[in-house]
Order: sequence, then structure tokens, then C-alpha cells
Amino acid sequence: MDAPMVVSTIQRKYVIDLLKKGKRADGRGFLDYREVKIQTNFIPKAEGSAEVYLGESFVITGIKYDIGTPFPDSPDEGVATCMTEFIPFASPMYESGPPDIDAIEVTRVIDRGIRHGDCIQYKKLCIKAGELVYILFIDMYVMNYSGNLIDAGAISAMAALLSAKLPTAKIVDGNAVWDGGYMTIPINQIPLSVTFGRIEDYIFVDPNMDEELVLDGKISFAINETGQITSMQKSGEASWTEEELIKYSKLAVQKVNDLRATLNLRQYIPKI
Amino acid sequence: MTENNNDVREIVVPGEILTEDKNFVPGRGAIRQGNKIISIYIGLKNISGKFINVVPLRGKYRPEIGDSVIGKITDVSSVKWRVDINARDTAVLKPRDAMDVYDKRSQRGRGGGKSSREEEAETMKKFGLGDMLIAKIVAVDRVSDPTLTTVGESLGKINEGVVINVDVPKIPRIIGKKGSMIKLLKDFTTCRLFIAKNGLVWINGSSPELERLCIDAIRKIEREAHTTGLTDRIQYYIQEKKKERGLK
Amino acid sequence: MTILIPEDYPKTLINKDGKRIDGRALDELRPFKCKIGVLANAHGSAYVEHGKNKIYAGVYGPREVHPRHLARPDKGILRVHYRMSTYSVHERKSPAPNRREREISKIIEDALAPTLFLELYPNSAIEVFIQIVSADGGTRCASTTAASLALADAGLPMKSLVAGVAAGKADGKIILDCGDLEDKAGSADVPAAVRMIDEEFTLLQFDGEMNPEELEISMKYIKKGAREIYAAQTAAIKEKFDRIRQETEAENKIIEKETKKAEPKPVAKVEEKKEDPIEPVKETPAEPKPEPEEPTEKSEDNKEETK
Repeated sequence: MDAPMVVSTIQRKYVIDLLKKGKRADGRGFLDYREVKIQTNFIPKAEGSAEVYLGESFVITGIKYDIGTPFPDSPDEGVATCMTEFIPFASPMYESGPPDIDAIEVTRVIDRGIRHGDCIQYKKLCIKAGELVYILFIDMYVMNYSGNLIDAGAISAMAALLSAKLPTAKIVDGNAVWDGGYMTIPINQIPLSVTFGRIEDYIFVDPNMDEELVLDGKISFAINETGQITSMQKSGEASWTEEELIKYSKLAVQKVNDLRATLNLRQYIPKI
Repeated sequence: MTENNNDVREIVVPGEILTEDKNFVPGRGAIRQGNKIISIYIGLKNISGKFINVVPLRGKYRPEIGDSVIGKITDVSSVKWRVDINARDTAVLKPRDAMDVYDKRSQRGRGGGKSSREEEAETMKKFGLGDMLIAKIVAVDRVSDPTLTTVGESLGKINEGVVINVDVPKIPRIIGKKGSMIKLLKDFTTCRLFIAKNGLVWINGSSPELERLCIDAIRKIEREAHTTGLTDRIQYYIQEKKKERGLK
Repeated sequence: MTILIPEDYPKTLINKDGKRIDGRALDELRPFKCKIGVLANAHGSAYVEHGKNKIYAGVYGPREVHPRHLARPDKGILRVHYRMSTYSVHERKSPAPNRREREISKIIEDALAPTLFLELYPNSAIEVFIQIVSADGGTRCASTTAASLALADAGLPMKSLVAGVAAGKADGKIILDCGDLEDKAGSADVPAAVRMIDEEFTLLQFDGEMNPEELEISMKYIKKGAREIYAAQTAAIKEKFDRIRQETEAENKIIEKETKKAEPKPVAKVEEKKEDPIEPVKETPAEPKPEPEEPTEKSEDNKEETK
């Protein structure tokens, strides 16, 4: 229907009735992730790019760079910033205009996952301390909305970062100049995120659109390769008990490890 | 494609010349352009008598009086409901079109009973925001929004099951000739079904697996609506999937 | 904004052998590919790859106009939103919409509106969203091609498909379908789109210098290119449905075989012998108008009790 802002009462009932039976409408178990499809480096003018389908959620992320000045409190570190745009054709609910609060939330959660995850080695993105560093732009465009954009976005951001090639620089007369070479973006660990949806006391992974529209709440964990939680976000009005949070943080570590193994994102690193 | 399959219709695109023969007349989905007749849709070319038609493969629902539709209440005021019927305009349902016949009779019979305003206020409690209804279109015109009624057999609020969205022009295929496809879907998946003219299908089965099978079969019909031999194929598909998924 | 590798334009665009920098003849198109029905939620959608342009178009509508004051009581409006992804170009584009995007959106609206029956949708809007994922010169032309396909995919009645392509001038020669470098380093650019039913120009801009004779050659080239693009648009649409047909015919044969094997007890046939693919329209309007009505099929009512 064209106005999914009003969720139908039977849709919620349908989802809940199934959950009570331990089932989900698309046949998945509570801990089954949807299929992920990835394609990288198909945008010639982007330094890196990735197209990711998580079920029917579809995100295209590209990496661009700029040479700029570092932040004063980290003069020898490069910078990476995320942006998300929901393209209005992705859902009849979206309108054109500045990013809405959902897009901002998706961006911030992914951004924190990358920033604190020992992911990008920012020091290697420094050309001249205090003056010249790489500024990376991780720009995510949601092409089709079908639930769980945080996880889909995080996968696409990491795949695009890994697939990227940056021109390398030397300093000539105090300016950064291309030295003719390229490097990959130095990445230590690959953080990925996993999101659980919640309706009443039923908690399940990777909510699809039908589920997301009737959820009471969600919780996302970003987790790096050493099993450290690097970002969390509780959204929606549902509250969580301490026991649940402990249980699902552990499950999240497991799920992210599985996902990381299945996706094998390092295969997208280009040869230089 | 084999020779004897002469009922396989050609797929045409907008602006495609259907004929330059002056003996033909443009029917539905076709217009005259100079001395040619052209298609205005992506669709199936079909000649009946001297008319050339193009049956579109996709398109938005256009309400017509008498259509049974499935709608969702998207707004409630004190005097009416607004119902999303998957069309360009949202439809209107007024309480007097939602009162049970029984209600009307009993209320009227009582001397000094409720005023009609009170009755209507009472009726407004029947449906709430987000409720799904099966309704009939009682009025449509170019200037005002379509009007609905829920008074009548098999009309009213939907309380369970699942509703899916399909391409409107494919609804006749999901129904089948003389309802043959519906019957097949019901018989072989044991689900209850209501196929509404506005591209929405209500499904209610005894298990989510059977409902999913029914939905998968409907998706297949939708995808293959322009082909022949569909009924046999759907029957075969359902039987095979039942074996594969271990369903009875 | 500083980047390490500035864009570099070649000095000559036509080689000694008369071929262009990418090896094309003067009147040769870049590789072209398209597909409809690529976005799950949009009412209609298309993907176009034209050279290294990669473009998605999605359509919603007719639907209510927001903001309301833009609505017209006599006819529907077509709104096109052309946007470039930040990473589609050499130097990152700012994510904020700019005037170039606004202008291109408008000329694409003007290119497509005359192919639609907007008078059928008073007070409503048909909205087309175009996203440039990768840009390679001639995005406005390729966007028009994509948008036209997406509108057709949405099942909206249309008089014609529209095909977009540019001509240009490089090293004194007229060329068809400028690539990015030819676009930027050439001496003229004529982006255009052609309504294929009558081959009239519905999008036309010009930037550079040409004499009228050169413009004439450009027009001829554009029409030639547009015909080739139209052929590819048509083929992509038909192929999609024909492929499904072929699949189903193979399935039909399997079923036929299995049914024979199962003799003497054939599978319970559910009536019907030869069925019509989608109910044909029995009654046709006496006065054939461009009435984009859904086929009013007279199928049996599907009676079913509901709970």
C-alpha cells in the first residue's frame, strides 16, 4: 500500500501470532540473517564502491577523498566521515529533502562502529602532521528500503572501504602532490553490525520491512574482529532488561562472526 | 516459440505501431496517430474483430462502482473514515455506509430511540486506525474521492490473515477463467482467499507454511501472467513445493 | 577541495585514423544496456548503463501532490528529481542539491510530459526520481532514457518512449554521443532527447560553437543514435517477458511429460484447455479515446466469506 505510515492492525497481529509460534512470515528462524549479495568497484570515479543487497534492502556506497587539515586534537590522523541519503524511490514513505532523523541515526551508528573499532588506521592517512591528511567520505545511498538499513549500510561501508584505492602523495614545496602510486585504505579490523528487532518479548535478528514497521524497538551492536563491541544503539520505545542485553550482546558477537566469515570482505581488497 | 502457439500474444511498448491497416480501430490501450494505431502501454497486443487492444502488464488501480476492494483506514475523524484503497485518491467511508442492516432496523423501530447523529457516533467506534476492510465502491467521479460501503455479504473488517499487494492488471489471472485459478489455489493450499479488484489479496491459512506457499504461487502467477498453460503449471508448482517443503 | 589527481584532458580527441579516443567511429554510440523493474518498492523503475553512466530511475504516482499548492485542478503534474551521487564524479559532489540538478530536472520534465496523458490526473503528481550512480558525460540524456522506461514500467499510459543522446564537436568534427572527456574538452555539446513516435526533439540544449550545417549533421546523428537506443529499450522490455515465456514453455513440456507418465490416472485437471494470457477485453469502447483504463475483465466474482 502507498501509505505504510499507518501500519495495518492485522499486519502487526500477523507478525506477532507467528512469533508466538516461533516463526517468521518469510520462513526464517529468529536468528537467521537474510541473504547478502555484494558487488564492488563498479563506479569508475569513486575511489571505492560497493552495492549491497540484504534481502531486498539495497544500498550503494562510494568512497571519495579530499586532502585537508587534520583536527587540532589529532594532528597526525586522517579523518573519515559518513553520510546517508534515503533516495525517495527507495520507499513511498521517503521524501526528497535533507536527510531525516532515521537517515541521520543510520549514519551515526555506522560512523561510531567504524570510528571506535580499530578499523581505519588513521595515522597512515596522514601526509604531513598538523597540515595535510586524507579526509575520507563514506557516502551511503539507500536505493530500496526493506528493513535493517544499519546492518546493510555497515556492510556496504566496509566493502566499499576495503575495495578502495587511494592515490599516494609526496610533499613538494609544502603541498601534497601525487607520486604516481596508489594504496589501499589501511584497515586493521572489520567491524560489522547486527541488529535485533523486538516485539513484546520476542527478539529476532535482521528485521525485514514488514517486521520493522510493527516493531516495538530495535538494538544494534557493532562488533570488531576481536569480539569487542564498538557501538550500540537502542531505538524505539521498547526497553530491555539487563539479562536480555547480556544475552543478545553475546549472540551479536556470534552472529557478526558468522556474517564476517560468510561475507569474507577481505576478498574485495584490490591488488596494487 | 512453436508454430501452433498462435495465441501467444506479442509484447508491445508505448508508441509501438500496432497496425497501419485502415480497417482496424484502436480499442483499449491503443490510440490513433496519423494513419497508424499505436500502443500506449507495455502490454499484450490483442485483436478482437476490428479492434486492436493492448492489455497493460502493470498499472495503478482505477476505482469503479461495484468493485470489491481491500482498504486500510488511514484517518479517522468524528464523521468519517479515510481509507487507502491503493488508488490515486483515498476513499471515504461514512458511518451510515458502515451500519449493519440489523442495527438500522432495530434502532429505527424503537420509539424515541437514538438520533441519527448518535447512531453515527456509535458506528464510528466500529473501525479504528489501521484496520483493514473489505468494502465495495458505491460512488466514484472525477471531482470527489471514491465512496465505500461495508454493508453487504462478505464485507467488513478483516480480523486475521495477511494481505499482499499484486500488480492490478494481473488480478484477472489470479482469479482465472470462471474462478478456476482461485479454486485451484484454495484447493491445493487449503488457504482462504479474497482477491480484491484493487490489487490486494487476503490470505488466511491453517499454518504460516501454507500461507507462504499460497503467496509464492500468487507471485508466480503474477510473474508469468503473460504466458499460457499457467493453471497446469501452478498446480504442478504447488504439488512440487509441498513435497519439497514437507507440507501436507 | 584538493585532490591529488586533477582531471586531465587530451589535446586531440580524434586520432589520425579518424577514430575517437575510445576507438569509436564519429557516429557510433557507446555501449548501451538497460533493464526495467529493478527497484522493488517503486511503482516503476529502470536502470540504464550508457557508456560508464550508471543511472537508476524510479516512479511513484499518480499520487497526491505535496506541497498541496503545486497541484493543478485541470491536469496532473510531472515532477522529476535528478540527483547525482557524491561519488559519481571525479571531485566529490556536495550532497546538497544544486542549481544544475534543478535545471536538468526541469528540462527532463519538459522532455517527458508531452508523452504522458497528464490531463487524466487532475490534482495529482507523477514523480520521477533519477539517481546518477556513475557519471560519464551525457547524464541528462541517459537520465531521460531511463526515466521514460521507468514511466512505462509503472504502467502509465504513454504516447511514446523517449531516447536521449548528445552530439558534439571535437577537433572540428561532429561526433555522436560524447563521452566524458569529449564532453569536457570538445568545442560543442548538443544534449537532446527524441520522442520516438514522431522523432521530434523534446529535450534540446546547446553549449559551444557550431554553424548551421554542423547542427544539421548533429541532428542526423542524434536521430540515428536515438533509434539505436530505442531499439535497445524495446528489446530489453520484450526480452524480459519473452525470457519468462521461454522458461514457462520448458516447464510446460516437463509437466506434459509427467502427466503422460502418470497415465492412466492423469492429474486432476482443473478444467480449461487453452487459456488466454490475461483476460482479453471483450467490449471495446465505441469511441476509442486514449482512455488508459485498466482492462475491465468480466471475470467471475470471487466470492469468499471473510472472518
